Amino acid sequence: MSKQWSGVNRRELIGGAVAFGLTAPLMAYAKLQKRQKAQVVVVGGGYGGVTTAKYLKKENPNLDVVLIEERPFFMSCPMSNHFLTGLMELTPLCFSYNVLETRYGVRVINDKILGVELDKKAVRTSSGYIAYDYLVLSPGIDYDVEDKPFYKDSLVYNPPAFKPGSEHIYLKRLIEDFEVGDILITVPPPPYRCPPAPYERAALIASMIKKNKLKAHIYFIDANERPIINSEGFLSAYYDLYKDIATYITSAQVRDIDVHKRMVKTSHGDFKYDLANIIPPMKANSLLEKTGLLRKGQKWVEVNPLTFESSVKNVFVIGDACQSYLPKSGYAAHSEGKMVAKIINARMKGKEVKEEYLQMICYAMVSDKEAIMTETAFRYDTVSKRFVPTHREDNQRKESTAKRYEEWARGLWRDLFS
Amino acid sequence: MDRRDFIKTCGTVAVASMIDASFFSQALAQQKDGMFQAYKKALLVKQDGTPLKEEDIKPHASYIFFYPHASTPCYLLNLGEAVQPAEIKLKDGKSYQWGGGVGSKKSIVAYSAICAHQWSYPTPQYSFINYYPPDTPSETTKKAGIIQCCAHLALYDPKAGGSVIDGPADFPLASIVLQEEGGNFYAVGVLGRDQFQQFFDNYRTELRQQYGSTAKARELVDKCIVMEVDKYVQAVVRC
Repeated sequence: MSKQWSGVNRRELIGGAVAFGLTAPLMAYAKLQKRQKAQVVVVGGGYGGVTTAKYLKKENPNLDVVLIEERPFFMSCPMSNHFLTGLMELTPLCFSYNVLETRYGVRVINDKILGVELDKKAVRTSSGYIAYDYLVLSPGIDYDVEDKPFYKDSLVYNPPAFKPGSEHIYLKRLIEDFEVGDILITVPPPPYRCPPAPYERAALIASMIKKNKLKAHIYFIDANERPIINSEGFLSAYYDLYKDIATYITSAQVRDIDVHKRMVKTSHGDFKYDLANIIPPMKANSLLEKTGLLRKGQKWVEVNPLTFESSVKNVFVIGDACQSYLPKSGYAAHSEGKMVAKIINARMKGKEVKEEYLQMICYAMVSDKEAIMTETAFRYDTVSKRFVPTHREDNQRKESTAKRYEEWARGLWRDLFS
Repeated sequence: MDRRDFIKTCGTVAVASMIDASFFSQALAQQKDGMFQAYKKALLVKQDGTPLKEEDIKPHASYIFFYPHASTPCYLLNLGEAVQPAEIKLKDGKSYQWGGGVGSKKSIVAYSAICAHQWSYPTPQYSFINYYPPDTPSETTKKAGIIQCCAHLALYDPKAGGSVIDGPADFPLASIVLQEEGGNFYAVGVLGRDQFQQFFDNYRTELRQQYGSTAKARELVDKCIVMEVDKYVQAVVRC
């Protein structure tokens, strides 16, 4: 039986008003002002955001932590090249945010973020305002195509698959449907999300062509002089394994894309394609422009390298959106999330912590069975007051490294969602 | 102290009193901090079922056994020289006393083989966390005489209670408290931060497949078969 109007209580009335978008912002904001406890709002449910929210609650279960994410579930970009080339199903890459609620008590709000009002200390979503005492922004990247309009159509026809979700699913479909012809892959200049990812993707697609004996050729067009990470390992794999089916063109800039003629114009000539994965330049998520933390002309938000705090006190920017000494990767975002959770929890107790050791590990497949890897440990030098990196690369392609790669990813997922 | 704590403490006292007086007092203090947990006393045996003797534990070979649960793997190592007791300090400010090696040379140690970082552990298919003897340094880190996990390069010191040498782990490997009685070895408890709950949470599906049910995987053991790691694991992944 449906409820009578008179039976609607105050809460439902407010809920109804919110649904109609009438009074939501003000009422929600007013309600949240009565909070008894400090509240941390985490924006973005990727590697950085999930880690921060989980570790905040793990270390301090009494804290109010709200995670706001538009996507209904988490999908990992690390290992997604495995999915694109048929080495892994999509299922192992996907996780529910519910675990954060049920196990740790993180309040997960599945909503679109319309803006952040730093002066009011509130995040504006399509359902209303959410107030914060501490704010962690981990919204990821956007494709930097505003001043290069030719990329815009390409985003639809040639999904870059550097944002998790539907782009990967569509690109996978295009790869599966491909039978014969020319494949084009482009790499933008750095910084972009996950430095080895385009090089790994090119190698895995080449490996798939060889394995399936397809009549195809890859034009791998790199804006850089060489692979920007593990160059020795990637170049040796390209030369040893794919020389006959792939052409690696370096220092080539994309100048125009005609999606209807299926052609890309570059500084090194024009290339027609039957399948393209055109990876555009990247910048911080446009949400950060709206907040004012990303100033005009900047692509990434500058942060204090010791704390990842932005120019606004108690507002932290982590993950791929910030400009730091760390590379843009899921692993880095995960480390930053742990660090920021520690800093916020300590700050609430009137203490300060500075993490003085951070480590990055990247793996990359160079064939369907073999991988290479790199590790960089960063230690803070109190004299020079900077992080000093120790960089190690293992460029010898090995099946055992591919197994380590999988365990590396599964370990991260265990840490995020268990 | 509530009823539950009282019973747990009695259990600890019962087990610890079978060891020695100094451990007895230390264990009580450490249980208070949640750093020691007594489990069923379990005899270490060879694959043929006979008790494992000191001479069976070759220096620097890696042995695996399962304790305190049927599915929780541990490494048994003879480090070839006396290993002294040590105070193990944790990042959160807590610490505990590790008793050092056992056996006639005080060289035999045992640790949980569940990585304290992200719970990698030796399965019948792969082991990414392994012991690197002094003459076999890690290719990646160039360090020897360590336990290293190849997934994220967490490094532990088996001569210092499993403490973290380098890498991303926040906690040492939990150590398995061994007791020697009449030439036989027994596991009696776990010292340090064990990872068992996370282990069971993370690997529910895998453990069900391997053991039939999570209840069976969680069963406490009173006998541990010790075997060389190579005989248990199909591919020992070193790095």
